[in-house]
Amino acid sequence: MNLNSNSTRKELPEVVRTPSRFRNPIGKYRLNRTTDCIGCGKCVEVCAYGVHEIKRGLVLTKNHYLCVGPDCPRPCYDECPVQALSLRKNPTFDAIGDLRWPPDLLVSTWYMAETGDVPPASLEYRVGASGGGFDRMRLALPPRQVKEEPENEEIDVGIELNRRDDNAHRIRIEVPFYGGGMSYGSVSITPMLSRIKAAAALGTFCSTGEGGYPDELKPYDDHVITQVATGLFGVREETIQRVKIVEFKYAQGAKPGLGGHLLGDKVTEGVARMREAVVGYPLFSPFPFHSVYSVEDHKKHVDWIKAINPLALVAVKVSTPTDVDMVAVGSYYAGAHIVHLDGSYGGTGAAPDIAKKNIAMPIEYAVPKVHRFLQDEGVRDRITVIASGGIRTPHDVAKIIALGADGVCTGTADLVALECVRCHNCESGRGCARGIATTDPELMELMEVEWGRRRIVNLFLAWRKELVRILKRLGMKSIRELVGRTDCLVHLDYMKR
Amino acid sequence: MVEGDMERAEQIKKIIRSRAELIKDAPPLCFQKREEEGGCGVTGFACSIPVRGKHIFEPSRQMHNRGNGRGGGIAAMGFDNTMLGVSKEILDDDYILQIAVLETGIEDEIERRFIDPFFRVDFSEKIPSVEDYRDIPGLEVRPPDVWRYFVRVKEKVLDSFISENQMDAMERRHAEDEFVYQNSFRLNKTFYDAFGKQRAFVLSHGRNFFILKIVGYAEQVVQYYKLDDFKAHIWIAHQRYPTKGRVWHPAGAHPFIGLNEALVHNGDFANYHSVVEYLRQRNIHPLFLTDTEVSVLLFDLYSRTYGYPLEYVIEALAPTMERDFDQLPAERQEIYRAIQATHIHGSPDGPWFFIIARNDMRNSRFQLIGITDTSMLRPQVFALHDGQVKVGLICSEKQAIDATLRSLSEEDPRVGTVADLYWNARGGSHTDGGAFIFNLQQDGSNDMERHLSCVGKFGRMIEVPKGQVPYLPGRVYYMLEDGEQERFDISEFFELQRPDLLFEYLKNGIRDWDYADFMDCLGQIKSWALKGDAHFEVAVSAITRMIDHRYPTYDKKRRSILQMLYQAIETIFRHLPCLEDEASAGQQRPRVSERTRTSYRLIDWETRQFFRGPSYDEKVLVIDASLFPPEGDQCDSRLMAEAFFRGWRRFIVFGLRGQRFHGCGFGPSSGGVRIDIYGSSGDYLGSGIDGLSIYVHGNGQDQLGQIIKSGKMVIYGDTGQTFLYGAKGGEVYVMGNAAGRPLINAVGKPRVVINGTCLDYLAESFMAGDPINGGGFVVLNGVQFDHDGRVVPQPTPYPGSNLFSLASGGAIYVRDPFKLIEEEQLNGGEIVPLEEKDWDLILPYLKENEKLFGISIDRDLLRVNGEQKNPLQVYRKVRPPKEHAFEADGLEEWGKV
Repeated sequence: MNLNSNSTRKELPEVVRTPSRFRNPIGKYRLNRTTDCIGCGKCVEVCAYGVHEIKRGLVLTKNHYLCVGPDCPRPCYDECPVQALSLRKNPTFDAIGDLRWPPDLLVSTWYMAETGDVPPASLEYRVGASGGGFDRMRLALPPRQVKEEPENEEIDVGIELNRRDDNAHRIRIEVPFYGGGMSYGSVSITPMLSRIKAAAALGTFCSTGEGGYPDELKPYDDHVITQVATGLFGVREETIQRVKIVEFKYAQGAKPGLGGHLLGDKVTEGVARMREAVVGYPLFSPFPFHSVYSVEDHKKHVDWIKAINPLALVAVKVSTPTDVDMVAVGSYYAGAHIVHLDGSYGGTGAAPDIAKKNIAMPIEYAVPKVHRFLQDEGVRDRITVIASGGIRTPHDVAKIIALGADGVCTGTADLVALECVRCHNCESGRGCARGIATTDPELMELMEVEWGRRRIVNLFLAWRKELVRILKRLGMKSIRELVGRTDCLVHLDYMKR
Repeated sequence: MVEGDMERAEQIKKIIRSRAELIKDAPPLCFQKREEEGGCGVTGFACSIPVRGKHIFEPSRQMHNRGNGRGGGIAAMGFDNTMLGVSKEILDDDYILQIAVLETGIEDEIERRFIDPFFRVDFSEKIPSVEDYRDIPGLEVRPPDVWRYFVRVKEKVLDSFISENQMDAMERRHAEDEFVYQNSFRLNKTFYDAFGKQRAFVLSHGRNFFILKIVGYAEQVVQYYKLDDFKAHIWIAHQRYPTKGRVWHPAGAHPFIGLNEALVHNGDFANYHSVVEYLRQRNIHPLFLTDTEVSVLLFDLYSRTYGYPLEYVIEALAPTMERDFDQLPAERQEIYRAIQATHIHGSPDGPWFFIIARNDMRNSRFQLIGITDTSMLRPQVFALHDGQVKVGLICSEKQAIDATLRSLSEEDPRVGTVADLYWNARGGSHTDGGAFIFNLQQDGSNDMERHLSCVGKFGRMIEVPKGQVPYLPGRVYYMLEDGEQERFDISEFFELQRPDLLFEYLKNGIRDWDYADFMDCLGQIKSWALKGDAHFEVAVSAITRMIDHRYPTYDKKRRSILQMLYQAIETIFRHLPCLEDEASAGQQRPRVSERTRTSYRLIDWETRQFFRGPSYDEKVLVIDASLFPPEGDQCDSRLMAEAFFRGWRRFIVFGLRGQRFHGCGFGPSSGGVRIDIYGSSGDYLGSGIDGLSIYVHGNGQDQLGQIIKSGKMVIYGDTGQTFLYGAKGGEVYVMGNAAGRPLINAVGKPRVVINGTCLDYLAESFMAGDPINGGGFVVLNGVQFDHDGRVVPQPTPYPGSNLFSLASGGAIYVRDPFKLIEEEQLNGGEIVPLEEKDWDLILPYLKENEKLFGISIDRDLLRVNGEQKNPLQVYRKVRPPKEHAFEADGLEEWGKV
């Protein structure tokens, strides 16, 4: 499992179908079967999605959630000789999610995490319903060619992370994204391990967040990004020396100007041990770094990490203030390899709503600003720009890359793959109904690492497939060609009629 | 209002009104975009005699890593008139109008439009510079041509200016100042547009000082304009670290001017726009769009236009807040409240540190001023060097001070390489106000030698002990040569292996010996030291103890003693055999006599290529750091970490000039390693150590011991900001003070003894468990050494606020026999009396402290006003509030807290 990422191109893992861990997965539609059913098996025959099953002469609607509803070319309810089937919308469907992650996106993400490909129909898997940001942007794809080419793997979606040409590691990730920081404490060890194992399988990375570096992650050191955040929780020389990428977290897009905040309720014994703090007390990270108040302090800070681990790549995670371009170029001159811009759409956990909704600049404004500024400065090809904050779909990835990023960082999408329903309970205590953002030993039992790993791998294989399709439509051979191609985008608010 | 005040207010109004014309076509404020810049390196010194520009060269070079070569500048003040080719009267009375011309051939136009019509030009020249700027290595952009004019405003012009603006009641010079200021503004507006064409701008226009700036490093200014030999009383320099822009221009570099002052600045404001707005209401409009320009405009507004005394100017810039305000005497509170009410919108908010050179003509003195912001977010060090030549120094980092002194002493032996006093200011405090002023007062008729004194914001003098004479190397002294007979009877200390006795011998010797004797004795020790490992260790240990400890120096200056000690120990180290010796077998260089084999090996910048692991009889790697870069792949701390992996376990580093990161990168299994650090150590020392011991023989800098996990750290001096940030463990001893924000977010079990005090935010968010059951704590003794090396209590063990703020674990044990610490200095914690078990806990650490620093538990710590006390009466405990621990519901599940 401990694969060296700077070796040659890595084989991608196979999709292993990984259904929901709950008995009744939530889907968009429900099919009602009346007692009129004669068990003829017609519905099983016509359904291309595996909704119905026949077992010992008994026909059952086993997988409601796979039904594509009216989009179905041969709807079972029309074909049923006795009209025993009728379609209706699943009432639970409308009750989940929010505008940024509408039910369509949640369910389609679950679908991808199960099957490793985008849903066949009926679900909007490309955009959300927020009415702004990525949801008002579309990729301007040329019309689909009649002849469907075979899926060829020559299209390269991997990116280089070190462009400085210095002594540090040469690192290439096979997909243009890696996992963002989620601390031990904000989530339990299970999702953490699932994410990192998935990252290892996909030839990419995953960040630890600032809650320390649990020993369980040790076998995956080559795929771990350790975070040095303002609280310095769990940061030791050892943890910095173990990894290939060290991430400075200066700020989060969801709550710029505020440090991390772990609710006292979540500081269980295990969490307190990892962070060497006191059980039951909320943990605040200060804002900002007490030792960094200017760009030359920042340089010193970067130099320090390089003194501890000279080969490590340094990523600098910042939020998106109005002078984010200066921050980016300052980071470059201070010696950073990656500048990670965290926009305002993201954020789960304890980020207060008032901060989430009001402070930072949306990522789609920040990225082009930084991209152009770095270009004018002549250093764009010397630093990797990673964007995050509300990247939910492969289309979001393509859009933000077209706006000027090199790659993205994911966070909430991983959790959704693990069947997060966006109920927002993570910000109000240790009880996550789905056993993800919890430190409660009982709730943690709701999930297994291997299941989680497969779900996340599947999701990202689906993303990758979709990205390849998009690139193919655009006639590009590599994701790098898409960087900064704003001509590949349209914004619905500014369409020329 | 009294009559005089009314008149004054009227005059102020007139000045401000007269400027309305200047800004009438200025763009509306909402379109103002300021230039971005980050932090910088600033340095400055004032000297009682004029000294050459080359002495600003070395400190500037040392602060390269605080700039990026995109802007550097210097200001010089207080000249010898002959060097400028003018008479003394002209130098004193005339304005030195210095104009940078960026576009060739416009000099005539400038003169025609802005000089000839208004000024009587007494002397003018194009200032000399190096022929081709490319001759200066690293200089990429051609510096501007600079024209210097000695001018007075023509009588008639001034008359009409006065009558136009009804300034009759005003002192004529005052009006002339204003005219010069306004004329320069007009000139800049005509020839300089921050967003457009940049053809020329005024560098400076005050009296007896000038400014030069370029796109490059500050020391290149000295080189390019040939200032190496140019003498002045005050020099300040600035390395800029602008983060923006392909197009750089010298006008954006510091220093900036008001009228008779030059200001350099490190930091940036959060409220730039609000300050600009505030200035606009007073008809002042910045043209160069940096917060530095705005700062000096504020300073000029307060001091020249409003005529505030310096104390009030400082208050307006860095207001006294919170508890410090309450500590002020009532009459001061009243004035300060008025100042704050009027000027708070102009007060720069955010991290900043100013160094200002000011020509206070009215009181015939030059001033070098350092002001830090209320939160002390930027690094700053002050130093005072007393003697025949007095020097006051202000810098971002201590090594820049050392570099200045080294440079000065190379030229003039009356200057030592060590200053008498080093200290930090506490921003916005009631004690020093966060500002210190070095005054160079004209002393009788001799203009070339001025009297230097140093005062805090409130006028309290900073003084060195009286009656001590510094060492003057030039003096002839005689060495008694009596054949083989040694002058000092020190052989037994070496034979008996007793460095402690040798230390006592030296210490007691100081009383009766003169400097020459002391030097002789050190010389003798040196020769003993080279006679083999055992002797070497005795010598080094004794000299180190002399450097570390405090003791009376009688009629001698401690700085001179230290200088000799440093010299002696460096000489001893430099005599060790190099690593290369083994590599180039056969041709050994005769560094040590053949008969002595030593387990010490020296490595320096030249011999680093021979770097290798130790052979069986090599134990200690001695690193001469003097030529190593401060950071990066080539730095000495990187070499040291590499040496550790090759098998070296014992290190001595000397000759440091601000090199950083010592002890970093050794990883988690560094137990048993010992590092000794001599010289000006740098930032981040020991940040991350896990197991090793590090001894700093001198002051520590900023960011020491961050995330330290285990191991030992001893600092024989003070340490800087954010000490032990995020620490997890370790045993740490500090002989002196820890500046601001120590131990923030520390967790686990760090155990720390600070013998001095801390400025503020000590142990904020401390989370170090229960100290009695293995958690962490801080012992804060609040004592200091007086000039005779006695331990005396500080005025208060902890002067600031936010002690143990929002902490959830650990404890602070404060030596506070008079119960001076009040509840209101805390934020969330509680003060409780000491218990026996607490004393049992800290006693072993205090014993180690006694061993390290000579601060006795019985004689020093437990004696209060000459009376022996019970520890439970002397110490107090600050701990997190108990009731909170169980407040959160549902916690019982996890059992004990």
